[in-house]
Amino acid sequence: MNGNIAIQPTAVRKKGGISGFLHEFLKQFDLQLLVIPGIIHIIIFSYIPMYGILMAFQEFRLGDFPGMSEWVGFKHFNYLFTDPNFGLVLRNTIVISLLKLLFCFPAPILFAILINEITNMRFKKTVQTVSYLPHFISWVVAGTLMFDFFSVDNGAINSALIALGIIDRPIHFFGVGEYFWGMAVITDLWKSLGWNTIIFISAITSIDPDLYEAAEIDGAGRYAKMWHITFKSILPTIILLLIFNVGNLLNANFDQIMVLTKQMTNPKLREFADVIDTYVYRVGISGNRPSYASAAGLFKSVINIMLLLAANKVASKSGHEVL
Amino acid sequence: MKRKKSLGDWIFDIVNTLIMLIIVFVTLYPFINSLAISLNDADDTIRGGITFYPRVFTWRNYELIFQNKLVYGAYIISIGRTIIGIITGLLFTAALAFGMAHSNLKGRRFYTILCIIPMYFGGGLIPYYFLIRALGLMNSFWVYIVPSLVGIWNMLLMRTYFLGIPIALEESARIDGANYFTVFFKIILPVSVPILATIALFIGVGQWNSWFDAYIFITDQSLKPIQSVLLSIISEAQFAQRMAQAASGQAGPIDAGRVGKGMTINVRSLTMATMMVTVLPIVMVYPFLQRYFIKGVMIGSLKG
Repeated sequence: MNGNIAIQPTAVRKKGGISGFLHEFLKQFDLQLLVIPGIIHIIIFSYIPMYGILMAFQEFRLGDFPGMSEWVGFKHFNYLFTDPNFGLVLRNTIVISLLKLLFCFPAPILFAILINEITNMRFKKTVQTVSYLPHFISWVVAGTLMFDFFSVDNGAINSALIALGIIDRPIHFFGVGEYFWGMAVITDLWKSLGWNTIIFISAITSIDPDLYEAAEIDGAGRYAKMWHITFKSILPTIILLLIFNVGNLLNANFDQIMVLTKQMTNPKLREFADVIDTYVYRVGISGNRPSYASAAGLFKSVINIMLLLAANKVASKSGHEVL
Repeated sequence: MKRKKSLGDWIFDIVNTLIMLIIVFVTLYPFINSLAISLNDADDTIRGGITFYPRVFTWRNYELIFQNKLVYGAYIISIGRTIIGIITGLLFTAALAFGMAHSNLKGRRFYTILCIIPMYFGGGLIPYYFLIRALGLMNSFWVYIVPSLVGIWNMLLMRTYFLGIPIALEESARIDGANYFTVFFKIILPVSVPILATIALFIGVGQWNSWFDAYIFITDQSLKPIQSVLLSIISEAQFAQRMAQAASGQAGPIDAGRVGKGMTINVRSLTMATMMVTVLPIVMVYPFLQRYFIKGVMIGSLKG
């Protein structure tokens, strides 16, 4: 599909300039017609909302033409930094994301390395297939499962803990604010562990098997091979993914949190569960302060980009492959 | 790989297998348990202790939820948006990808930059909300379809695939006088079934699992997808109660005797049945088509 299909006689010179462009354009109008609806769609749904960036510096009032409201400069940002609500939200976002980074990032790596060690092909395939399943269900379904699993009323976990005598009264896993961070991490791990291993497993399969043979000859044991060959070979992939995750740090999973907090209707959880995205949603749409919410959203995006660039810099300074 | 299995090896393999089994168990148990509860008689479930299998088997819970117009209607909405979303999404995205795969496309560089930028910058939720309002898509079924006609990521995956199709295929058709529409529909699409299947699955899963668009843009209950119904059941206690009461009220003459014995319909059973029904298409499609997903992810990650 590369190269100009039309065969041109060598004697013809292409017309230059705008009229030339228009001429060429019209000649392939059928091709353009296939492309133009998609382009228009992207312009409408991806570009028009970008005026939201401007909204962060303006004071939007009902009836204003989008992007043309009164300019207030950094007023919203100043307010943002002194707003204790936002401080709480920021804290929650950072804590939840860091916890997820701490637990949910290494787990797939370990899992992938262990899966690689399985010798029975059938078992290996089965484990993988089963592990991807939670990724394909929505957070609504996952939330339903988790609510029931951790329910105080004959939920599986509480029943088991009581039966084993570890506790004598059921724990209100999703009702206590302090537990939320842990629950967010655990449920996220359950849902994404399998899927996140795909990248690592495919990186592992591209390792040259001769490396293992050579290590074997040099007397390397199983653990030595796992560390020096398997792990070290996928390190570039790990670094790349780590950079990517750091660049997403302030994007604590909106879907998950909305579902697990029953759309923030549970006030006990709000203190711990409100993150930037849910804050933007509540304040911006339900709370009718769209400009302020836009400022919060923009703040988040800017920080994310800065984190991404910083992580990228650090990685390249330490001699690793980067974005 | 001839290697004498030492004791250390055996221990490692056993521990590893155990870990794998635990992971498989923890992943599957919630599903199996929920399935068992959904197939179990509601009164019996209250007594607790249901694990892998229904103690008192019954289809009753499913009968009841499908008699509820809300559930029935939402299921149709979900099926509708998934099918329509897949067909329209494939069409628009593939058409764009097809054009972008041609290096002789006038304005290609401009189009490419146009597509890349939104992957890094976005306006956020608020302006998007206003846009949907301005376009008159509020409270309309089409809000499920129109905004997602073109997925840039999907488009790039398709473009990669199209670039791999031998140019001779198109060239010979063009020489015979075919225009680009004919090439696209009669030649390229038929040989693109693998990527079309992959993207169809991505779109399909996305449509089926979608709930937030209905949450903020739709107020008409009859337009809500099944995910929204499930969400209401688990988030709003009264919603579930009302459904349970409506279900009890619908207990027909056959059940009069059972109702007389003090049998009521239980919220948990209804929730599980609704959830099972919500998850069913995914679980059915999944084992056969997961390799398409995996391949899609791998192509995507190589490109990205």
